Amino acid sequence: MTLSRAEVDHVATLARLGLSDAEKDRLLGELEAILDHIERLQRVDTSTLAETAQVGDLVNVLRADVPEAPIGAAAALRNAPATDGSYFVVGAIQGTELDA
Amino acid sequence: MTPRTITELAAALRDGSTTPRTLLDAALAHVDRTEQDLNAYLAVTRELGYMQADAASHMLEEHPDTASPLCGIPMALKDVLCVDGIDTTAGSKILRGFKPPYTSTAVQRLFDAGAVCVGKTNCDEFAMGSSTENSAYGPVGNPWDIERVPGGSSGGSAATVAAGSVPYSLGSDTGGSIRQPAALTGVVGFKPTYGRISRYGLIAFASSLDQIGPFTRTVEDCALVYTTIAGHDPRDSTSDPRAVDDPLASLHAGVAGMRLGIPREYLGEGTEPGVRDAVQAAFRVLEAQGATLQEVSLPSTDVALSVYYIIAPAECSSNLARYDGVRFGSRVERPSLTDTYLQTRGVGFGNEVKRRVMLGTYALSSGYYDAYYRQAQKVRTLVSQEFEAVFKEVDAIVCPTSPSVAFPMGSRDDPLSMYMCDVVTLPANLAGIPGISVPCGFVDGLPVGLQVIAPRFEDARVMRVAHAYEQATDFHAQLSPYASAAA
Repeated sequence: MTLSRAEVDHVATLARLGLSDAEKDRLLGELEAILDHIERLQRVDTSTLAETAQVGDLVNVLRADVPEAPIGAAAALRNAPATDGSYFVVGAIQGTELDA
Repeated sequence: MTPRTITELAAALRDGSTTPRTLLDAALAHVDRTEQDLNAYLAVTRELGYMQADAASHMLEEHPDTASPLCGIPMALKDVLCVDGIDTTAGSKILRGFKPPYTSTAVQRLFDAGAVCVGKTNCDEFAMGSSTENSAYGPVGNPWDIERVPGGSSGGSAATVAAGSVPYSLGSDTGGSIRQPAALTGVVGFKPTYGRISRYGLIAFASSLDQIGPFTRTVEDCALVYTTIAGHDPRDSTSDPRAVDDPLASLHAGVAGMRLGIPREYLGEGTEPGVRDAVQAAFRVLEAQGATLQEVSLPSTDVALSVYYIIAPAECSSNLARYDGVRFGSRVERPSLTDTYLQTRGVGFGNEVKRRVMLGTYALSSGYYDAYYRQAQKVRTLVSQEFEAVFKEVDAIVCPTSPSVAFPMGSRDDPLSMYMCDVVTLPANLAGIPGISVPCGFVDGLPVGLQVIAPRFEDARVMRVAHAYEQATDFHAQLSPYASAAA
């Protein structure tokens, strides 16, 4: 399994992980070794197997449509890096170049 | 005073020979004496503990007959379990200083029973690891040899019970993170059936695999903690509404007439000879008690590791997207929002977390989804089917918990060799079935664990087999140097 450096860059961008060049170089080798090992999955004949997304047999779990007390703004904001007292404060999104 | 079990302490609290405050004093003093060597705690919750100890005293005075066996007894919580207002970091720099606005259901049930919290225990960052070396706050020493790892990811929770500071703790198990450290530190560790214990308030790693469970000194104590925290919770949509079997009711039923299977793939080449010898001796003990042992086969064991290392990283890459420096956790401020995300996560996450987020994102990305993620989900079905087939032949599976004993710190710097630690524990997570580790011997002074696995919702059966084995041996009664020093 060969992974290109461009693929590592792409995946890091998708994952919103800011990595140094040294980290990317190291991850390239490590991910290749892991993917080589995982390659054995492709040998399993899965033509008759359904996918397992979860092991439980519960479906459509819904609670009663009854209002409950919310957590409250003060508690929700308690751990925020920046607030104005009522809202989370973040940099402007408009005009920010979003990567491809 | 030698470390006592929950059962013994509950009796002592009722005959007046001790009090919740005395027990907490002793636990805190023991932690103070041993932390320099062990680093098992990320936070000691002294204030909360004394408040709970006083409340427990009242409960015991007013309702001595109906108070929970856990009332007034000190315990510790893996730092992935949210407690309202108490620092919860998941072993990560990105959550330094995070104080959850609510308490996880499993923990709340312990608190309601009168449990006394001593602290939050060290773990691999976001529970990703098998040695606790991935904690952002330094590794944990194994109480049997502090140059060696205690296993992981719940290494602090295992070490503090093995060191005799507390009689029990909670951990979480996504691929073996309770059972493997239990084996490596010589205590009991239990991963229940998926859906038995609410995951509400457990910091998510891989949601289809994560389960909370206890570390204890005995299987009976394990049953006591399990019955307190198990059962339906409307706040977790994967929590199962079926009634919970009481494991205490069948705990002493023994194994006579039971059929136990030994998967030949679980004693493969990677198993250390000393581990194999100890586990085979354990099989003979079970046989002597009337169980019938037979070899069985789980042919996909080899690929189960690959399935796990697709599914767990895929789910983790999704779950950890929430750490963006906006609502909680640390933020590295940059002029653009995208750069703020990149730097916040680049600085806040450690190497193993980055590796798994990268692997998971890759497996889910366009062009690779079918080949990796979808294929892994299909092979996951096969892993479950093989267990179902085996459980038509036998009542439970017995095998090693870990292919090795505790290894020296720093000796597994290659990610794949670390991933191999979980090769006989992670299949139970993929299938959602219960598994326990119980002490079954020593190799050069280092503990070995026997694993018992049973079908879904047969949690009581797992404890019944483990208890029968434990009662016939005295490995669980042997104490690490830190626990004997308490004498």
